[in-house]
Amino acid sequence: AEIVAPSDALLSRPHSEARELWQRYESATRTLSAGLCEQLRLILEPTQATKMRGDFRTGKRLNMRRIIPYIASSYKKDKIWMRRAKPSKRQYQVILAVDDSKSMAEGASSDLALETVALVAKALSSLEVGQISVLSFGEHTHVVHPFDKPFTSDSGVEAFSRFTFAQQKTDIRRLVETSLSLFSTARSQAAASPTELWQLEIIISDGVCEEHDTLRRLVRRAQEQRVMIVFVVVDSVRENSILQLNRIQFVDGEIRSERYLDSFPFGYYLVVSDVRELPSVLAGALRQWFVESVEAGA
Amino acid sequence: MDLDNPEQQPQSQVQVKFVTRDPEISVPTAPILVPSNLKRLGLSQVVNHLLNSEKPIPFDFLIDGAYLRTTLDSYIAENGLSSESVITLEYVRAAVPPKFLTSF
Ligand SMILES: [Mg+2]
Repeated sequence: AEIVAPSDALLSRPHSEARELWQRYESATRTLSAGLCEQLRLILEPTQATKMRGDFRTGKRLNMRRIIPYIASSYKKDKIWMRRAKPSKRQYQVILAVDDSKSMAEGASSDLALETVALVAKALSSLEVGQISVLSFGEHTHVVHPFDKPFTSDSGVEAFSRFTFAQQKTDIRRLVETSLSLFSTARSQAAASPTELWQLEIIISDGVCEEHDTLRRLVRRAQEQRVMIVFVVVDSVRENSILQLNRIQFVDGEIRSERYLDSFPFGYYLVVSDVRELPSVLAGALRQWFVESVEAGA
Repeated sequence: MDLDNPEQQPQSQVQVKFVTRDPEISVPTAPILVPSNLKRLGLSQVVNHLLNSEKPIPFDFLIDGAYLRTTLDSYIAENGLSSESVITLEYVRAAVPPKFLTSF
């Protein structure tokens, strides 16, 4: 006979405990969160100040290159004025995805994950220029906070009550697939123009996952969809750090041993063992991504 | 599940820790990721790889004091363990030649 395990959707943390946890982490990370918010504000602000652009019949400043043709055309080519271009207004949609699998409960990974959620969610919600969604993943992926609701302290409590760190698998492939489809729906409903919409997923996990090759393909698909994925590896158990973890594979009967992170499928990953490191490394990764996407002409 | 055909589905893995009471054959106890469809022989190969031994030593493996006679996968499923946890594998020199054991 098959034993049917209770659905993990039914597992949840008591509300009072979730509230207490949220309040504790929210106040513990308040200063860090304000700092991250400031850094993000700088990154999100359009890098180019408003520019004067031509060619118009009326405007603020003469476009000198149009003057000679204007005279030569007997004043017919009269689009000689430049106007101030409207500053672009970037908007973001961020998915915070938190590993709810059982491996997170070993060591202090789950505490670090919840602290990270409090820090990042607060920083983003005080920026007030975008939408946040929070997902939990493990064997299944659940939306614990949707894009279309503002993220408040109550949302934090609600989200925390859904994390139990007891799921029996860590299916990151399913997480990324679900996220990409959520992003594409959210993009179609966004007010911002496609080029000004910045979609970002922050995955918070201990980083141990399978199917690296499949994941690498999905990460490429995310890039094509203009979704950036930053993988935050919470590495709280120092004696068993993921930096030292090795992986054994059998290839045609031969043993191959490699450093686990050498085949890690996510290009942008950060290994964090203290929540205080997070604002600067996260802002650094985002800044780098932003510069690259501008250079790529995106 | 057909374990002879690894192409059919992605290879699952599990973190294990190898421990032994015999200091002569001890390996670092840091967790290591191995395919979860390994049995005694595959695990023996892994430990020999870690020992860098010239002449492979056949090993037997125990989980919570019980000999492992199936794949890690089956053992985990049948004993209510989780592939999310680090499994501690105690290893001892095999008492009988491996050829004899594989006929079980
Ligand atoms: Mg896990």
